[in-house]
Amino acid sequence: MDTTTQFITVIILCLTLLTVVQGALVARRRKDAFPLRPIAAYDAIPYMVGTAIEADRPVHVSLANTGLGGSNTLLTLASAEMFYQTALRADSSLLTASDPTVLPLTYNLLRRAYVQRDREDRFSGSRIRWYPSGTQSLAFAAALTATLGDERVSGSILLGSFGAEMALVLEAAHRKKQGSIASSVDLQGQAVAYAMAGETLIGEEMFVAGAYLSDNAAQRGAVVALDTLRWLLIFGIVIFTLVAIFEPVKNALFGGG
Amino acid sequence: MRRLIATLSTAIAMSFGIVTLWGLLAGGGVVTSLANILLQLVLLTVAVSILIGIINLFGVHFGRIRYREGNWGYSIIVILTAALVIALWLFNADDANMILLENAQVAVESALAGLVLFALVFGAYRLMRRRVTWGGILFTVSLLIILIGALPLRETAFIADARAWLLAVPVSAGARGILLGIALATIVTGVRVLIGQDRSYRESENI
Repeated sequence: MDTTTQFITVIILCLTLLTVVQGALVARRRKDAFPLRPIAAYDAIPYMVGTAIEADRPVHVSLANTGLGGSNTLLTLASAEMFYQTALRADSSLLTASDPTVLPLTYNLLRRAYVQRDREDRFSGSRIRWYPSGTQSLAFAAALTATLGDERVSGSILLGSFGAEMALVLEAAHRKKQGSIASSVDLQGQAVAYAMAGETLIGEEMFVAGAYLSDNAAQRGAVVALDTLRWLLIFGIVIFTLVAIFEPVKNALFGGG
Repeated sequence: MRRLIATLSTAIAMSFGIVTLWGLLAGGGVVTSLANILLQLVLLTVAVSILIGIINLFGVHFGRIRYREGNWGYSIIVILTAALVIALWLFNADDANMILLENAQVAVESALAGLVLFALVFGAYRLMRRRVTWGGILFTVSLLIILIGALPLRETAFIADARAWLLAVPVSAGARGILLGIALATIVTGVRVLIGQDRSYRESENI
């Protein structure tokens, strides 16, 4: 890594650290200072969970092939938070994943959710399913379509790195009249999710489940930090664009030489 | 005891994270060597988690057979196939494993790839049928331009130009926007892990 990249990385990390800490402090002190903008997918989750409880069916969360230890580690942690929040609310949850590294994490989260609700006796390891397969695997998608029927799930939340094969899962969910919320870090998968899912999370929205579904100040602080960084980025892009076009525009208007 | 475990796991996660980050930034020296050792530890953990995965696979499907859950017959096939693949691996029969992979897995995935097309077309149709929104209209019009523009016909040459512009300007900008958003959220999540705000590995919500 060259010195410039190191310098920029350190600056970005320091800036992020500052905004995350400050965001958490502000969110803790004044809860309504930064109201969260409504996201339809998060608004739909309580409804999906309520429907599942009434029908005595599980809510299905799939993390696809995201796992710990690779480039998707942080996405996995964010998706796992979504699973935890769903498990906290739903009477029965089902998780599917193709990367085995998420198994210990999700076992712990599911057990913790049951402990939190004083229903540890209902914890069952079989609610976590490992379907071994490769990256963006059609076999994994096929396994999910079967699971939706066999387990009679009420709704599915698909997160992670799905590709076009997500269409098979969402199509199966639609045929079985099951709700669906989907998102993918892969752009093909994101387009499929937008077209076919009941609700969609786009880009950074899938990282903020904790803030939207819990009342945790630190999680809300992370959203404040994310928004602050986004505005800084927009500001930076505008400034650099103006700098880049200043010379050509000046030459065009006043004549260059 | 729980509080102690939570504090310990947070301290381990934070220190491992900081050492790895420092090692990546430093680009040499003791810290980088330490970071490399930690990364090798990750590989070991992955190996252990595969074992957990195999136990999970057998546990889930034996349970399905035992309680005669819906379509439990397929669980017998899964268990037999998994046992066969493990046995072939134990006896170093890599050729047989490859035959299984090529004749079963690849063939099934190819058939499914054909189905994806129909699912996508139906999905695009359903998008407009479900609710007509400006976003939906824009999505469908863009999709049509991209598809028609890809046709090798002289009559659709002007649409091919529109397709090229769409891909080069708005699609590229939108894709970058989404990727920048994901990158920002990844950095924020990473910093939260580094300062011990993430709760995934903790024992309790309140600790």
